[in-house]
Formats: sequence, C-alpha cells, structure tokens
Amino acid sequence: MNRPGPSPLDPEQVAAATLACLPEMTPNRLRAILDAFGDTVHALDAVIRGHVAGTVRAVTRPHLQDAIDPLTRLWSAVARDDQLPALLARRGTHVHVEGRADWPFRDMPDAPAVLLAEGAAPDALSRPRVAVVGTRAATPHGLADAYELGGHLAEGGCTVVSGLAIGIDGAAHEGALDAGGTAVGVVGTGLDVVYPRRHRVLFERVRDQGLIVSELGYGVGPRKAAFPIRNRIIAGLADVVVVVEATERGGARITADRAIDYGRQVFAMPGSRRNPASVGANQLLYDGALPLLQPSDVFVQLGLTQGARHAARPQPGGDEGRVLRACCGEPTTLDELTSRTGIDVRALVGIVRTLERDRWLTRKDGLYWPMT
Amino acid sequence: MLAAVSSATLTGVDGQPVTVEVHVSSGLPAYQVVGLPDTAVRESRERVRAAVLSSGMQWPMQRITVNLAPGGVRKSGSGLELAVALGVLAASEQLPTGVLDGVAVLGELGLDGSVRPVPGALALVDSLTRAGRPSVVVPIANAAEAELVGDAHVRAARDLGELRACLQGEEPWPDWDPPLVDPDADLDADDDLADLAEVRGLAFARGALEVAAAGGHHLLMWGPPGTGKTMLARRLSTILAPLEAGEALEVTRIHSAAGQPIRGRLLRDRPMRAPHHTASTAALVGGGSARPRPGEVTLAHRGILFLDELGEFAPSALDALRQPLEERVVRISRQGSSLAFPAAFQLVACTNPCPCGRVPRECCCTEAAKARYRRRLSAPLVDRFDLRIPVSAPLPDDRPGESSAAVRDRVVAAVARQRARYADWPWSLNAHVPAGAVARLVPLDADAEREWQHLIEERLLTGRGAARILRVARTVADLADEPTVTGEHLQSAALAREDLS
Repeated sequence: MNRPGPSPLDPEQVAAATLACLPEMTPNRLRAILDAFGDTVHALDAVIRGHVAGTVRAVTRPHLQDAIDPLTRLWSAVARDDQLPALLARRGTHVHVEGRADWPFRDMPDAPAVLLAEGAAPDALSRPRVAVVGTRAATPHGLADAYELGGHLAEGGCTVVSGLAIGIDGAAHEGALDAGGTAVGVVGTGLDVVYPRRHRVLFERVRDQGLIVSELGYGVGPRKAAFPIRNRIIAGLADVVVVVEATERGGARITADRAIDYGRQVFAMPGSRRNPASVGANQLLYDGALPLLQPSDVFVQLGLTQGARHAARPQPGGDEGRVLRACCGEPTTLDELTSRTGIDVRALVGIVRTLERDRWLTRKDGLYWPMT
Repeated sequence: MLAAVSSATLTGVDGQPVTVEVHVSSGLPAYQVVGLPDTAVRESRERVRAAVLSSGMQWPMQRITVNLAPGGVRKSGSGLELAVALGVLAASEQLPTGVLDGVAVLGELGLDGSVRPVPGALALVDSLTRAGRPSVVVPIANAAEAELVGDAHVRAARDLGELRACLQGEEPWPDWDPPLVDPDADLDADDDLADLAEVRGLAFARGALEVAAAGGHHLLMWGPPGTGKTMLARRLSTILAPLEAGEALEVTRIHSAAGQPIRGRLLRDRPMRAPHHTASTAALVGGGSARPRPGEVTLAHRGILFLDELGEFAPSALDALRQPLEERVVRISRQGSSLAFPAAFQLVACTNPCPCGRVPRECCCTEAAKARYRRRLSAPLVDRFDLRIPVSAPLPDDRPGESSAAVRDRVVAAVARQRARYADWPWSLNAHVPAGAVARLVPLDADAEREWQHLIEERLLTGRGAARILRVARTVADLADEPTVTGEHLQSAALAREDLS
C-alpha cells in the first residue's frame, strides 16, 4: 500500500486502538472502562492486570455475566501481546481518541470513545460534513438524486458521509467521488471487512479518496444489530443530514432520529406518496425536517457560499419531447406511453430507446423513469 | 412347424418392426416366449390361448416356442398378441402359412377372440411402411388412425375367427366407420372461441407475442398477477403458422404413441402443452424406469410448451429443460437402452417479478427479497429466452386489439420468408440459427450498425445476448418484410430482452 504515511501514533492512540480491538469489546464496555480508569493508557494497564471485570460486569446483561471472567482473562492475554502496533502501522490506521484536538464529534452524548480511520484523506473530517443517507431498496429516481447531491456537495467543498450500503448510500458516495470530492464511509464492521461484498470497488475508491471509519476492532464481521449502532456515528459526524429516500422503518430513519437528538439539521427529499421508498422521507418532512429542494439549501444551512449551479440540459424536442413529457415525471410503462401519446408501439420503441441512450429515461423492471 | 408373422412394438415414441416366430414341436405341452418380452407380453399367453379356443380353433397340445426378433429390442405392450395367435394357428396348420406373407398384424386379443385397439397405431403402421411392409391388419378401432399413413394398405380385424376367414378369402374384409369428426372441421373447435381480439391493450406484449410466433423465439413474460400474461400466452396458438405436412404426421405419430386420443385425422394446429407447476422432472422431459415414456416437452414437439408461474416449478425440473432447449431432443438412457425423444418445442413462460406480486411502482419488496425470488430461475435458463418482456396491467381506456387472424397472416408470411431464406440450411426459423452463423446471416444496415455500437457502449450486450438480439431483430425485419435489419428493428429487439435485475 503506497499511501502517504500518517504521523506515527503516540502511546495514548496505540492504547486506544488496542482496547477497541479486544475481542467482544463493545462501545458500552469501552466507554465504561475509560470512565472508570481515566485515560486509555491507564485503562489498558488495568486490562492487562485483569482489573476490569467489575466494570464490565456493571454494563453487561445478566445472562452473559458468567462469560465475563474468562473474557477479561482473554483480554489480558491479548492486550499483553503487542502485535497490534505493527498492524496499525502497516495499514496506516489513524486513531481518533476522545478529548484530543482532532476529535470529530461534538454534542453527542453517546459518542464512541475511540474511532479508527483508514484512508488517503486524513483531513476529510476537517471540512463541513454532510451525511446523505437512505434506503437500500432505492428507485432509479432516488439513486440519481443521491448521486447528483453527492456531486454538488463535493463541488461545494463538503465531505459526504454515508454508510457504504447498497442503494442511496453508495450512490451518494459515488457522486462525491466522481466529482473529485472526499467521502467518509462509516462501516458497521472492522475496517478490514468489506460489507456488502458488492461494494468492494467502492470501498477501495473511498479509501483512496477519503476515509473509512469504524469504532469496531479489526476482524469484526457484519452483525445485524451493529448497523443501527453504526448509524449514530453517521449522525454524529455530520453537520447536516440529508435523507433522500427512506422506507417507513429503516436505517435512514434511525440516522435521522439520532441526528435530531444531537441537534443536527435534518433535510428530507420529498417524494411521491405512491413510492414506498419515499414514505420515510415524507414522514420526516411531516415531523418537521426541512424539505431539500436544491442542493444549495444545504450550503445555506452550513453558512457556506452557494455551490456551483448546473445549467439544465436542453429538453429534447419533437416526438421524443412528447414522450418524455407524457411520463409526467413519474415511472411509466410502454403501454401507458402508447396510450397517452397515441404513437404506435413500434415507433415508440425507437423513440424510447433513443431517450434511454441519451439518459433521459432509465429502464428498471419494465418501468421507464424520466431523468433530468 | 414354424411360422413367422410381421408385427411392431413401440420404443419410446417410435414404432419398431418385430417378427414373431412361432415354433410348434412335439414334446410336453408348454408355452415359452423368448426375445426380451416385458411382463405384458409374457402375460399374453392365457389371452391368446383363450381367444383361439373361443374362436372355435384348436390350441396345440405341443411344445410352443415364440421368438420375438430382433432379439435386442425390448418388446412391450399387448399389441403383439394377434400376431402370436396367427403364428400359432399357422404353425399348427390351422391357417395356410402363405396368407401371412407380406402382411403385418397388430392387435390385442380379448378372451372371446375379439381384436382390441392398441396405443400408437399410427407410429406402428408408419414404422412398418417405412420398413417396406405397407400391408397391415389393424384392430378395427385403429383403422381410421392407421390409414393416416398415406402409403399404408390398411385392413381391419374385428375378431380372430373372422380374421382367419378374411385372410383365406372366405369372407369380405369388414369396413370401418369413417372418423366421427368431419375431416374439414377444426379439431379444437372449442378453442376457436379464444382470440387475440379479446385482449385489451398490452400493445408491447402483443408485439412480442407476434415476434415469438413468427421466429420461434422462446418468450418469458413477467408482471404482476392479473395483467393478462396467461391470457396472452394461451392465445399464442391462435397466431402460429399451421403444421407443415411432414410435421403433421410426425406430431400426430408422437401423440398417438403417447396414448393421446387421435380423432381420425392428422393434427393441423401446433400442439400447446401447459403442465402444472407441480410437474416432476420425468413428467416434463420424459422418463420412467422399465419403459421410458415421452414427457411434456415431446408432446409439445413442433408446438408450444407453456409454463405458467415459472418460479414455482421445481428448480431441478427446470434445469432439466436446458439440454432439450439447446439440442431439441431429449436423450434418455437406461441400462441397456437409450432413447431419443424429439423435443423441438417453443418455450413460453410467465412469472411474477417479485414475492409481493404488485406492480413495480407499488412493490414493497427489498432488493434482497427480489434477488432471492429471481434466483429461483437459474441464470442459464433465463438466458435462453430470446424475448423477456414486462407485462403491465391494461389501462381502463384500452380498446380490444387486432384479431388473431390478422396477426396470423403476418406470421405465416414471415415464416414463409424464413423458410425461403434458410432453404439450404438444416433450420427454418430465425430462432434456430446457430450463434456462429448469426452475424453472417443477419446483415445490418448503417443505421443498425450505429445502434449496435450504442448497445455495446451501454453494456446492454453480452456475448450470448448479442446473438439472441440479432435473431429477434431478424424476425422483426421479416414481419415488416424488409431484407436487411434496420436500427429500428434492432431497437425493438433490444427492448424486448429486459434483464430480470
């Protein structure tokens, strides 16, 4: 890996990373140990000496109590074994520790105590940070919106924070990266685990152009319960959260709720009430989120100058224009287009193919989605 | 004394000429059948004996050996009984041997000496005619069917006693009733009520159905329940070109051999088979241990195999379709024998797009759930459909479409153009053009070349998909009676092959 080497880690950072990477370490346990023993170096010393069992027991549910003594003995052995500094150096990991100058969280009561980061843009967190989140089951409209928004935010100098998931998350990251901006991917696994596997390439791109961050240790695999907990980090890192498409009860709603708890401004992109992928976003609007009509709304909220405006593409004319207008901005079937325009289906096929080729229409599951 | 009688047995869906040799010699009374008989043939002994006695003739109290030649072929069914009985009579000098020369005999016997019909008479007579034995005696109930083989000289048998007299010229041969149906009337008179004109709207799907009919392309329709997928698919048979003369005999023969009722005339319409989704692998492609039987794919030979709710079929049954789809023949191997059933069928299938079955706009399935649902259809199977189209619900103001007759005229003309073009090749439809020959046989005009480049740039083409799109484009051009494929034809073809993402 030929990435610019970060500054070497000091003992406090190494101790923090060692604690975070202990097996079965959870955010709650780490927080409790640090609260009990002050700083990370003393906490690590306590772990090695085997003095933390009582502290851990206090934050562990009753049915797991029996496992704590063996676990703290294991921790003691693992913490004594000093292979981790070599791994951190090899991967170029940066370790954020609470209370230091580069600590990225503010106004967040349940912030993680330690945040591990990997990537080529260590300064990504020093810019204005905007989280763009949404559902995995996104529509072509939602994906296009997230991609465009990611691009606009990147051009306006913001860092796009999201969860590297399928759907809206991935589209927002890609938009930012394609515009040459920086992206921060918050993962719910260890930094060495790529999940979802489909996003292997995107993971690499974010690493090369931004940062991948996690509060979890190396080697932790995907677990369903970890993702809602991860979402609080997305909300906490962001100055502003934008929800593009969200289902009624999904991860994006959790991110938005946390953001409201932390006092962040939440925007939601309004959608058709017929679109199940817009229900969550529309509900947020009803609950008081600001509607996002222009990407520049975000810049205004952040107090930045307005980002570059994009001139609208000239609309196609003739029959192509007729067909595009007949979509009325909604996903439409070929049969509906024939019926609305009166153009014979044989001729319509050619027109639709041309519109598709010029990216005015996107085809998915037999529906044609008009694009702008 | 020795006597030999010609007859035939069924192997798979084909007839196999058999020579029944009967030897009667002195010794302890016994009856022995040799030459790979199955249980039904072995059991015929008591029936033959009773029939001979009931008809007022003698059963020789001697050693009787029946040999079925050729020895290597498994003989099945009861159709050889009449030949055995005549052989016994001839060998025991109750019938002059000469009257059996050049005559083949088919039929099952009743205990009273009556001659009963046999399954697959058409296939049996056809095989005898091809083997140079056009003169056949068949059960009277099979006579009309046997006569469908144009070159055969058919005579009917009612019972054993009468047959013996007829053979010796003592009595006239019995006449049989003409087929109950009027030979000019359509067999499927009920189905004639179904017509494409009843289908409202669905302009795009109707177009795809026409292309499928004209070029023989496999068609996959997917869409929410109740949109008219099944209705459309069931009307495909109303727009197909009729069977050619040679095909008609071939298809009728297969149906006869499979025990389907043949109503005294050759099938004219292409068969359409629609097995339920609980069908087993053997029911679909054929099989069975002792006597392999043809499956639905063989009954759909030269016609349509329609699989509704494709995703509900057992994955193993669907995967068994892949080989016949490619080779148009089903090979069934059993210990000691191997059969090839013809299976040149056109596959038409319907499926829902996702578990919730709602229209895509209102679908609430997660991407993972959709992907899981679609994985039930194996990618290699889905890839074999030239046409994959979404079907959406008709709109309230849609009017009834064209009638089947109008569409069928265009289809017949397009089929004729293809036959003329492929006269020198072993295939006759665009869908059957081998992938290696497609690029050479489907010339593109300049406009089409440009569209082709666009398709490649948009990555809408894969290697196998490219050949399929070209074949469909060729059919679209044939329907429009144009010599080369234009950009518009290619666009239609590309849109009619949507990915199930």
